[in-house]
Amino acid sequence: MQSLSVQVLAEAGSTDILAVANSPLVWVCALGVFAVIFVQTLIYVKAARKAGPDAGMSSQELTRSYRAGAIASVGPSLAVVLVAIALLALFGTPAVLVRIGLIGSAATETASAGIAATTMGATLGGPDYTQQIFAIAFMAMSLSGGMWMLATLILTPILKRGGHRLSAMNPAAMAIIPCAALLGAFSMLAVAEAPKSSVHLVTLGVSAVVMAGCLFLAKKLGAGWLKEWALGFAIITALAVAFVAHTA
Amino acid sequence: MTTQIPTRAGAGMAGFEATTSRWGRITMLAGLVLSLIGPCYLVFFGGLDITAGHVWLAFLAVAATFGIFWIMEPLTYFPILGSAAMYQAFMIGNISNKLLPAAIVAQSTVNARPGTKRGDLAAVMAICGAATVHLVSLLLFVGVLGTWLISIIPMELIDVARLYILPAVMGAVLVQIIATMKQLRPTLFAIAIALLVQFVLVPLVPQLAMGATAIGVAATIALAWFGRDRTVTHHAHLADDGEGEGTAPKEEI
Repeated sequence: MQSLSVQVLAEAGSTDILAVANSPLVWVCALGVFAVIFVQTLIYVKAARKAGPDAGMSSQELTRSYRAGAIASVGPSLAVVLVAIALLALFGTPAVLVRIGLIGSAATETASAGIAATTMGATLGGPDYTQQIFAIAFMAMSLSGGMWMLATLILTPILKRGGHRLSAMNPAAMAIIPCAALLGAFSMLAVAEAPKSSVHLVTLGVSAVVMAGCLFLAKKLGAGWLKEWALGFAIITALAVAFVAHTA
Repeated sequence: MTTQIPTRAGAGMAGFEATTSRWGRITMLAGLVLSLIGPCYLVFFGGLDITAGHVWLAFLAVAATFGIFWIMEPLTYFPILGSAAMYQAFMIGNISNKLLPAAIVAQSTVNARPGTKRGDLAAVMAICGAATVHLVSLLLFVGVLGTWLISIIPMELIDVARLYILPAVMGAVLVQIIATMKQLRPTLFAIAIALLVQFVLVPLVPQLAMGATAIGVAATIALAWFGRDRTVTHHAHLADDGEGEGTAPKEEI
């Protein structure tokens, strides 16, 4: 029923993103990724329990480790939830769950989507953000994330065989290149938002100021949790200001 | 953090290593395939007039920006995570802000030193615990609650959120990256280049707009490399000295 309606609703020029973003197959695949990680977790727990005695680790200690990991991740997980909810309007639930919640991160995935939209001469989230642009952005994010996994799949066995001296070959390059690439990419992406409209400029500024404030307070008060929540707070505050400025 | 000792897998752990590398690889491959089916379906069967050329162009533009990290990140995290956890971490995400802290907390809870067999098992169990919490909270709060939320929020609010989400994300992320890197020189290079590309280069040659981010990345790398402070020595195994100063994993942002 719904898959039929997708076919009907799907028009390259339609801006009803959620109609395609929520198509049943996309949902099934997203839930499939969740299922795969659940299965992986089960297999790993079982393997660890089996190896416990040999490593001098009691079943009790293994359970305590599991529980400690679970409790430690409650805060960071909820911080990711907040960011993910803010991005729902842009990508729809299944894509957000997989791309932002799991494999990727809010920063790299929105950046990838924005870059992909630009190659089509469109703006992510703008009036020309059609179903076609969404699909291309989703594809580009997924391919890029796929390359990350592919690299992990290929490199891990190699590194395990002692190839991790690879990273010691040129320490200066290993330190400078990723840092410069990240600064270069996000400086460009941030600066590109500024001239779009005065509201864009204000939104950009508010977001940056809120983040700076959170990081400053986190350091002053020794509140590590604030660092985790900073991105969510910055996005929500900036969007609230954008709404007021937009409707004013 | 910890140093991976290549011989850490003793005879007793051999079974664990075998199971986790086998199933770790199988599950990650399954995750990879599943994550691609959805977008492939929309692109090829969605009736959205998308050509292979569109996809290639978008992919190449993204690759030019993030391609370096595909290789650099696994290299950076391997010494900290060990091979078993690699297959977990790159599917679950949020490595440095969630998985690593969880592993460290668990190790200290059971007094296991990192890099030992006990330390490895404690870390893997902790990541399993973190994964469980993460999956459940995403399904519940984003999958169920978020979908409901988006269905009751007025359309105009959604339109505004969509229109301004990019600046709302990028402003904060840039500040966060600058604060994490703590490297003045490359930061100044990056911002100067971005301003130059956006306000001089693109207006002069509008065709370059779609490659602007890649140009910014390439130019910043070149300037940061040739203009680097040669009095600073960079140490091998960045991951070993605590926060991994100077490395830039995507999970930090």
